[in-house]
Amino acid sequence: MRSFANVNPKDLKEATSVLRQKGQAATIVGGGSDALGMVKERLISPDVLVSLKSIRGLDKVTEKGGEVVIGGLITLDALSRDPLIRKNYNVLAEAAGKVGTPQIRNAGTLAGNVCQRPWCWYYRNGFPCFKNGGNTCFSITGENEFHAIFGGGPSFIVHPSDTAPALVALDAKVRIVGPSGERTITAADFFKLPADNPARENVLANDEVLAEIHLPAAKSGARGTYHKEMDREAWTHAVVSVAVVMEMDGQVCRAARVVLGGVAPIPWRLPKVEAMLAGKRITPELAAQAGAAAVEGARPLAKNQYKVPLTQAVVKQTLMALGG
Amino acid sequence: MTPLKTVGHATHRIDALQRVTGAAKYTSDLHLPGMLYARVLRSPHPHARIRKIDVSKAMALPGVKAILTHENCDTAWSSGDQLNQRKLFNNPVRFAGDPVAAIAAIDRHVAEDATHLIEVDYEILPFLTDLEDALKPGAVAIHEGGNLSLNNQRQPVPQTYKRGNVADGLKAADRVFEDNFTSAHHNNAQLEMRVSVAEWSGDKLTVHAATQGIANCRTDIAKDLKISADNVRVISEYMGGGFGNKNQCQDSDLMAALLAKQAGAPVKLEFTRKEDFVAVHGRWSSRQSYKVGVKNDGTLTAIQFTALSGAGAYRKGSCDLSGTEIYQVPHLETSVSPVYTNTAVAANYRAPAYPQAVFGIESLMDDVAYALKMDPMEFRLKNMTRKFRDQTPYTSIGLEDCIRKGAEKFGWKQRWKPVAGSGEGPVKRGAGMAMGMFGSGLGRSSAVVRLDGQGQYHLHVGVTDVGTAAKTTMGLIAAEELGVPLEKVTVVWGDTDTCPYSVGESGSRTTVQTGMAVIEAVRDLKKQIAEKGAPKGNDVLTAMATTNPPPLQGVSRNSFAAHFAEVEVNVETGHAIVTRFVSAHDSGRVVNPLTAQSQVQGGAIQGIGMALHEELLYDKRSGQPLNAGYYGARIMTHLDAPLVDVVWVETDEPYGPFGAKTLGEPTIIPTVAAVANAIHNAIGRRVKSLPITRDKILGVLA
Repeated sequence: MRSFANVNPKDLKEATSVLRQKGQAATIVGGGSDALGMVKERLISPDVLVSLKSIRGLDKVTEKGGEVVIGGLITLDALSRDPLIRKNYNVLAEAAGKVGTPQIRNAGTLAGNVCQRPWCWYYRNGFPCFKNGGNTCFSITGENEFHAIFGGGPSFIVHPSDTAPALVALDAKVRIVGPSGERTITAADFFKLPADNPARENVLANDEVLAEIHLPAAKSGARGTYHKEMDREAWTHAVVSVAVVMEMDGQVCRAARVVLGGVAPIPWRLPKVEAMLAGKRITPELAAQAGAAAVEGARPLAKNQYKVPLTQAVVKQTLMALGG
Repeated sequence: MTPLKTVGHATHRIDALQRVTGAAKYTSDLHLPGMLYARVLRSPHPHARIRKIDVSKAMALPGVKAILTHENCDTAWSSGDQLNQRKLFNNPVRFAGDPVAAIAAIDRHVAEDATHLIEVDYEILPFLTDLEDALKPGAVAIHEGGNLSLNNQRQPVPQTYKRGNVADGLKAADRVFEDNFTSAHHNNAQLEMRVSVAEWSGDKLTVHAATQGIANCRTDIAKDLKISADNVRVISEYMGGGFGNKNQCQDSDLMAALLAKQAGAPVKLEFTRKEDFVAVHGRWSSRQSYKVGVKNDGTLTAIQFTALSGAGAYRKGSCDLSGTEIYQVPHLETSVSPVYTNTAVAANYRAPAYPQAVFGIESLMDDVAYALKMDPMEFRLKNMTRKFRDQTPYTSIGLEDCIRKGAEKFGWKQRWKPVAGSGEGPVKRGAGMAMGMFGSGLGRSSAVVRLDGQGQYHLHVGVTDVGTAAKTTMGLIAAEELGVPLEKVTVVWGDTDTCPYSVGESGSRTTVQTGMAVIEAVRDLKKQIAEKGAPKGNDVLTAMATTNPPPLQGVSRNSFAAHFAEVEVNVETGHAIVTRFVSAHDSGRVVNPLTAQSQVQGGAIQGIGMALHEELLYDKRSGQPLNAGYYGARIMTHLDAPLVDVVWVETDEPYGPFGAKTLGEPTIIPTVAAVANAIHNAIGRRVKSLPITRDKILGVLA
């Protein structure tokens, strides 16, 4: 790998000021489980790594005025084991627990997982695609078995994060800190389709840091789950995944949020499915209808048509498992 | 079979403690004083001619000590290609990953930086990734003479075998079945990457190599560097696996030696994981077509097999495909054509010619059995080989027992569904089986055994232990023949200066061939003791033996296996997992049941990965590999692996050390087909191409 300097900022102010000063020459590192690999592969060649691990206090789960605040630097392992998260936000605990391998979960952070760059093999092999600064997507006429069936164009990557669909399902907000201030936006607004900017997956500017995740107070009767279909039993990204949160009133689903992973360049929310579920008992028939509705509008590429029946089945089976 | 005192008893590896505590030093652990570190610049193009190469900027980078390219190095790597002259640095380059330059520098990062400073002017040539395309008229010739590689007799025609007359056999059949199967190039993926450390002392070269055979490695290095083998020492004390891709000498051995010579300092060259996938070699892919004739009572009358095998850019392996030999059939014709493409090289990977071909024939035979409403196990018992090529008796054959005892352990009668695809779903269970065989010839190897004045025996054998526990096996055989406990035998291994020739840990030959040499040497030593008495004080008695038996006449010596798999397939999501596996093996007498069991389990797990996951995938438009490495290749994890039960069928075998036959390679041969047949039994549809991935499962169910 190319040699680089490492900066250990003491707080976010220092971190973002270094990021502003160095511009494109700097890269943020959380756990480093992915960023260091990218440096080794020369996908990125930063002069400076800004290691956020030196910032204290950003790895906690705390309750604040009804909200739950999660520091972006919490490891995926700690998040998956946190008692409060497991109790009230199980979908997120499960999603974090499904990432990669134990080694990756011990090093990788929540913010890093949410901001992870795509795992499209054209991008990761250095093809001059949109994500590598080029102006094409090689998957369109290439090996696209793992690419997007929703929201694609001009890039057809799928968002690689397991925790991102869970955060959208939980209606989370993200607190973003930059050198000249901060902003808090919904998780859903954080992710951006390639139609907006095919080079990026989210709204973060180069000098901004995803500092915290804010979860709304748990609703009564809320339950959630994350189901991940993989091509082996560990250490792959989702072929298709679904994060589901339901507010149950006895046997009846008062409200639901259903978000897909692995099928679109962003966590892919299914408002029509959510509307179908609201106020109903989750029966096998309703789950099957929801599965069918989940894939309406899918536009598969030549080699990923299997993702359509797969998504349909995953939605159906997961809704039954959670609410049936 | 008579029980023995030492052989046949579960024994821990004699180097287990060193391995698990980290005391064992592998090649990549070596750091010699003044050692330089090397990196290889590889072609980014699948096929190109180098017009010009300029290393001046790289050479000027501080810390760079030596650079090799095709301009200053025309050394051949003779074990890199059996037919064509393959050099260390070829022009034209024939696959994305073909070496263009090697650089030695004060550290690995400087060497890598220097690879980016080498300026290469390429003339891009047309390239081929597909076997059928490569044989079309007008296709660019990757080697002189075209893309159909020569057969084993060096003729530009397919490798063929014939007995009887298939036309007659098909005429005699009540039913004829035809089908096509394909398998993918996939990688050996052993833990230890290719690595070599070379140092010169005057004319003497020492290479610390991760090799499966120090003796052959040494001979090959000497040949390619055009120096005397007396001046070459190869050391491989601990090595981290190869599954066939560390036979002979490696290009990295030669590059490290030449860089060390040029720089006047020791050089270490270690590949990256990606290089290990793209630039070493994997198993050859295949396109298989079968025509099978059968009587209504299930008796086979004819098999016709024609196939292409994917050699990749060079002809490093035989590229043969062997599966039909497990069946007794009067009329058989086989024809295999190795084909060049501009992709990663294919060569030896655990039973190189077998699991992919057995997948084809055993899938089709399963279909035949279902069509005839026969239990696939009964169909196999009826048609399995009884004599080699229906003519030559086997020295011993336990195939029927493998099938029967394996089926019993597995619970075949309870688990196999007479109606494939039946059941409620969405998760459906199914069971499948397959059988296999592998040659277990005798051959040349050597051993030295000494007895010192303190009563300790020292066994010198040129093994490196590729994971098979060969060091321990040799010790057990010596101890048995000596009639002493294993602790009384010190095994010396892994250094051509202290060990005689050993066959090399390929072809599953070490236990049999070097094991026989050990027995012969021990017998000689015992004779000497009887004549001269045991040595005292500083005296030593030494015995050595080289066995070089003539090929067996009128008999064939083979190992046999039957594997049984149970799978669960979710017919809505296409998710498939193996839930139960039984491997039944006839390898004659089992020398060390503990490590033999591990080998069988490892072979099964590797085979399940081959069945369900692994393929080195290429982008057809650019000729670039897309999924090299452990993540992309979806190698099996612990969570993917079922418990593998091992059943031993220890036949009374007249040849080999205490009647031991070959084991290492047979362990993967029937696995893939057993899994494929289990998936068919579960879902009622057949996937005819490897790997059997989710998209294919959902595809056949759609």
